[in-house]
Amino acid sequence: MKELVRDSFAVTVKELKELSRDPVSLALTIMFPILLISIFVVISQAFGASSYNIPVVVADLDGSSVSKVLLDKLTTSPLIRVNQFVQTDEQAVQAVQSGMATGAVIIPKGFGQALLSSGHTYVILQTDNSKLTAPLLVNAALSSSIQAMLDEATQTGYTGALSGFKAAPVDVIIRPISGRPPSGDPFLPGMLGMITILGAFDDIVNAITRERERGTFPRLVLTPINIFSVYMGKMSSTVVINAVRTTLMLIIFALSGLVIRGNIIFIYLTTSLIAVFTLSLGLVISSRVRSSSTLTILEIALTFPLFQLSGAVSSAETLAPEGRALAYSLPWTYGNDAIRRIIYLGVGFNAIAVDILVLLLSSLVLLPIATLLAKRTM
Amino acid sequence: MSKSKFLSDTLAVTINEFRVLRRNRTAILLSLVVIPFFFTAALGVGSGGAGTSYSVTAKIPIAFIDDDQTVASGRVYAILARSGDFHQLIQGYREDNAIATLGTGKIYAVIVIPKGFQDRLLNDQVGHITVYVDDSVADLGSAIQGNLLKNLQDFNPRLEVQPVRVGVSSPIEIVARGVKFSGFDVGLTVILGLVIIFATFYEIAGGISRESEEGTYARLAVSPIGLGAIMAGKTFYDLGLNAVRALIVCALAVYGYGARPNTDLLTIVGLSLLMALLTMGFGFIISALGLGVRAVIIVEFFLVLFLFAFSGFIIDRELLTGFSKTISYSLPWAYGIEVIRRAVLIGQPLWTMANQLMFVVVSTVVFYGIAYFVLKISRERLVI
Repeated sequence: MKELVRDSFAVTVKELKELSRDPVSLALTIMFPILLISIFVVISQAFGASSYNIPVVVADLDGSSVSKVLLDKLTTSPLIRVNQFVQTDEQAVQAVQSGMATGAVIIPKGFGQALLSSGHTYVILQTDNSKLTAPLLVNAALSSSIQAMLDEATQTGYTGALSGFKAAPVDVIIRPISGRPPSGDPFLPGMLGMITILGAFDDIVNAITRERERGTFPRLVLTPINIFSVYMGKMSSTVVINAVRTTLMLIIFALSGLVIRGNIIFIYLTTSLIAVFTLSLGLVISSRVRSSSTLTILEIALTFPLFQLSGAVSSAETLAPEGRALAYSLPWTYGNDAIRRIIYLGVGFNAIAVDILVLLLSSLVLLPIATLLAKRTM
Repeated sequence: MSKSKFLSDTLAVTINEFRVLRRNRTAILLSLVVIPFFFTAALGVGSGGAGTSYSVTAKIPIAFIDDDQTVASGRVYAILARSGDFHQLIQGYREDNAIATLGTGKIYAVIVIPKGFQDRLLNDQVGHITVYVDDSVADLGSAIQGNLLKNLQDFNPRLEVQPVRVGVSSPIEIVARGVKFSGFDVGLTVILGLVIIFATFYEIAGGISRESEEGTYARLAVSPIGLGAIMAGKTFYDLGLNAVRALIVCALAVYGYGARPNTDLLTIVGLSLLMALLTMGFGFIISALGLGVRAVIIVEFFLVLFLFAFSGFIIDRELLTGFSKTISYSLPWAYGIEVIRRAVLIGQPLWTMANQLMFVVVSTVVFYGIAYFVLKISRERLVI
């Protein structure tokens, strides 16, 4: 046992020494989380902005004083920018189809008259639905403009037919139990999980396949050090590097204003176990896939499905039934779930015990398999 | 160089590339199975196929606390339980117990109908419903809020049978026009773009870097085969692979997950190949820089992430501001993705998107030109 620990320690020191002598890998270890998180900050900012300039054209076929009020509200909406007024329905549709505008608001003839006489009318909204979010925002801008117009109308007694109008009978108030804003930082905890997974995959590429390519791995295996100690040493060095990455991420979280409610030690524990599990899986794969570039490309190919299925971006609970079943069969999902609950809810060890256990057991199952496969393919 | 020699050299390089691929089972597996299948299947199982619909909140255990105990609050429960959006509403919790249970995974939200709910509605006031939500589940709060409002927007406490009209409670109705399609169809365009860019870049830039490391590229460069023929041969080889890949993604999406593209298969494959050509041009430039395979893979990873954020894959360019917007509008991939999306989703004819297509084509030519120039310099160095 003493020998196992001593050998593992020697391999750990060797791995860290190698990393310190390879400036590119060292820089990558540092830059990788920063770049990844920067990209997702851009994404978060795009989705969370309070104003946009989505181009919209308007066709006011009515030309009444009532439609003018609606136009006024539309032009002052923070979500859209009315960049052209057109004369006909066809021109409005053409503007959307040509990509000049994302939406076209068409106020039909008789709009004002119908509203004042019957209290009910309509406007047409043509949107470019090939966009992902912009059509929803155009719809929201039109709805809020209509609401603002009706509020103004009822307040000034402008439209008798509309007095007493109530937009919706029921209002829903959301109270997140963490106390944070409902829209705040939806991606960040998942990103910590993803960076841990990707980082650990990269470590295995460094630790095994590159050593194989250089021919140093067989030499290492032929030393009196047990193969299990070799793996344990490589794993320990990954845990150390992972701790550096996690620290870096936590600093970025703090700088971006994310409040971490839970115990930071549990975050380190969870990310370490995610890294160890990923490394165990990587060891199994690397016993078959010998080329470092193939392993890296496989790692990247796995990344994008994992964004979807490991709870990094969407929680497993909100996936379609098949996706949910698949997500729950991936140990990473439990790790991401634990990270999110520690950061947002501040839960203690008891609440994440199952997640920790799943990660630990999965690693314990994979590690002997990796050792066995490595011995066979030696 | 005569035209026939150029063609025969190009053909020789293409055949050589396919031969190398055929001998590498891992490369075939990665290129034609893992990448297209993983990406498409992850989208399909994660968000459901095009023909299927599921409610995010349907199978999530949610406590329902009725503090009002009136006919109106009972009707709210009945509406929600029948809606298809809330299959696991649990009654019987006390409010404080239910809130304390949040975060344990037994329940994920608590819907509270407060005392006085019915009175407010009968007095023509807005009735409030409070939802406590376990926000460690991403976006659950907004999903529950959306589904509650959807089901209760025409709620009338006086009526046992609620109105069936949905979305017309305002005196001004918004009549939405525009082609409708499933979320999976939207995802298909993202996956198609990602798969093409991801695999193409690796095959071109990674392939040449690997050949450089192994020394075979130097041998090829000093052979009588012209640089243009080498580039053309590799291009034709990768176009062939991309055509197969685009067909695999489309077949899986259409037959496996019920996607219904609004354009023909030829257009989809053609646009995929256009994107592939653009990426190949960029891949040739990167390979001309003499980077190692590992560096190329790192560049690829960040290229894909970069395009993910700025090319309209998941964020519409209209939502970006400032420098992000400038970057987005200068990326030729963004125009290609826009064309794919418009053609696949709304069936827009290609001739109406001539400007975007022209931008992609010109960028491709520029990329190839730069790559040819840089590769030629490095080749001359090799020869000297």
